[in-house]
Amino acid sequence: MTIRPFLASLLLCLTLAAPATAHEGHDHGAPPPPVSATIAPRADASSEDFELVMVARDGRLQIYLDTFRGNEPVTDAAIEIDGPEGTVKAEPDGSGAYVLPAPWLAMAGDHALAVTVQARGMVDVLTATLTMPAPAVAPPPSAGRWGSFIDGALAADLRHRISDGAWTVYGAVAAAFAAGFLLALLLRRRPAAAALVLALGLAGADPGHAASPGPAPAGAAAAAPRDLAQRFPDGAVFVPKPTQRILAIRTLFTEENTHPRSVEMPGRVIPDPNRAGSVQASVAGRLLPPPGGFPRLGARVAAGDLLALVQPAINSADATTQQQQARELDQQITLVERRLERLRQIQSVVARAQIEDAELELSGLRIRRANLDRAQREPERLVAPVGGVIASAQAIAGQIADPGTAVFFIIDPDALWVEALSYDVHAFAGKASGRMADGAMLRLLHRGSGLADRNQAVPVQFSIEGEGGALRPGQLLTVLARSTQERRGIALPRTAVVRGANGQAIVYEHGNAERFVPREIRVEPLDAARVLAVSGLGPGRRIVVQGAELLNQIR
Amino acid sequence: MTRWTAAALALMLTAGIALAHEARQGPNGGKVVDAGTQYHAELVAKGTPEVVVHMSDANDKPIPADGFRATAILVVGGQTVRFPLQPAGGSRLVGTSPVAVPAGVRGAVQITSPQGATVQARF
Repeated sequence: MTIRPFLASLLLCLTLAAPATAHEGHDHGAPPPPVSATIAPRADASSEDFELVMVARDGRLQIYLDTFRGNEPVTDAAIEIDGPEGTVKAEPDGSGAYVLPAPWLAMAGDHALAVTVQARGMVDVLTATLTMPAPAVAPPPSAGRWGSFIDGALAADLRHRISDGAWTVYGAVAAAFAAGFLLALLLRRRPAAAALVLALGLAGADPGHAASPGPAPAGAAAAAPRDLAQRFPDGAVFVPKPTQRILAIRTLFTEENTHPRSVEMPGRVIPDPNRAGSVQASVAGRLLPPPGGFPRLGARVAAGDLLALVQPAINSADATTQQQQARELDQQITLVERRLERLRQIQSVVARAQIEDAELELSGLRIRRANLDRAQREPERLVAPVGGVIASAQAIAGQIADPGTAVFFIIDPDALWVEALSYDVHAFAGKASGRMADGAMLRLLHRGSGLADRNQAVPVQFSIEGEGGALRPGQLLTVLARSTQERRGIALPRTAVVRGANGQAIVYEHGNAERFVPREIRVEPLDAARVLAVSGLGPGRRIVVQGAELLNQIR
Repeated sequence: MTRWTAAALALMLTAGIALAHEARQGPNGGKVVDAGTQYHAELVAKGTPEVVVHMSDANDKPIPADGFRATAILVVGGQTVRFPLQPAGGSRLVGTSPVAVPAGVRGAVQITSPQGATVQARF
């Protein structure tokens, strides 16, 4: 009598444990077996141009077609399926997939399907075998006596919990098994108690988990309404095609090429020395606004525009000198006036030349006197030396401007350069690129390198080609300049390289249609947008270049 | 048992190089590819409408094609053509295409064995 409850409990545990081990371990390259019971039956096929995934769901076959190399969805294809019931045309379902009714999916076993794809001027025939699992197996006869306790929903829930990887469930099962066994021994004729205790044990095992949402699949035939992306124990990621579409996963077909070696340098944005200007007063004086006021910060000015006036300040010594000069001039003017008057009275006896000399002398003295008066009042005009935008302004009306201090600084925002510091001596090729802190890219052109040391480095100047965008002088950036040396490797966009859980640089390789495998690589800088994979990767692989960060977050 | 193991191993190997799709040259002048786990199929087209598929087992030993049925789906000149293939003695399955089929044609052949299982060969 003791054997029976033991067997029953053992069988129950085995039945429940089976699906948990089913999704462990994979061969690289081999088609992945069903990940878990929550994934709908599926098959994939690929050619040199296309990759497709077929998903069996609710008696219909959903087909996802993408380009093989880039993983771009192909939504305008004509697709025909040669299946068990002849040739059927698949129709687009509006969400980027194709769908066709497939009543034969109810039959368990292997279905050989040939898919004819006509898209983008290409015709291709792909073959795939879709394996439909047998319907959920009936409970073994020995479990029949208490089968009513462990039917349908509970069994499905158990499977769901186990396939979710909740290891606490195993402990609960083991504990419940032991408790049930003991109880059955005590009660002798009530082996059903074992199952009851098992059920109770599970209910109390993990309340947080029990409350978690998620459809419980009632057997493998009726799968969850959608498939969930998940990570395998080996680090590979299963991502169903609909999820790939949402994450916009795109791949690159790797090719090995020779690339110029590049040098990474810290740099900052500077104004183009020929297109920036400083406005300074040449004499000490009081700042006065021009008619219309001082130009405001950020105002656009043209070369020659009046920006400010400086009323020269005269110190007391200067003022005394000027007063003396004025008195002297006044005195001389009076003397010359008197002499001219006398000469005119005796015009008949003096030479005419004498009178003319005196007249010239008088007019010269009067001009000097007038200039002396005006020099005290005339302000200095400060004009813009170049066209551009007022980048900085220190002008306040009435302020005393020292000669040499910049009142305004004018920068042409369309003419900015980059100055980088090179700690090594390199021979730079013409083109370079810059990466801003926010990831924006700049195209640069090498203009020249200094020879004088500055902070143990040599300044290297680059001009910004094309649209610089919203830049300002002083912004920091990383400059990647090409040197004249070369090396071989695989160029990848920077977005392709992500950090693995252990901090290593990894890329995701698109293995099968819905499987992405992390690959460790070593990279070197190439330019602002790309890195060079120098080891860990061969040509002819499909590497995720868009959405890699999102893939990396799947647990 | 060893035959099954060999077939399974062959499948695993071909799965690894699935992207490369390396087809072998067959004794009849066509490409030999795997058809399911048990068979190899060699498709021979010579620029005429007649298309011949030679059946062999996993060890490339010809097997009688009696009782087999097959459908060919081939890409000829940017169009797909479908036609049935019938046993024609020996290991041969012969069909007639509506258009002339050049050598090295791409496409697939669905082969139904006498036991009723359907396998596919992609060329």
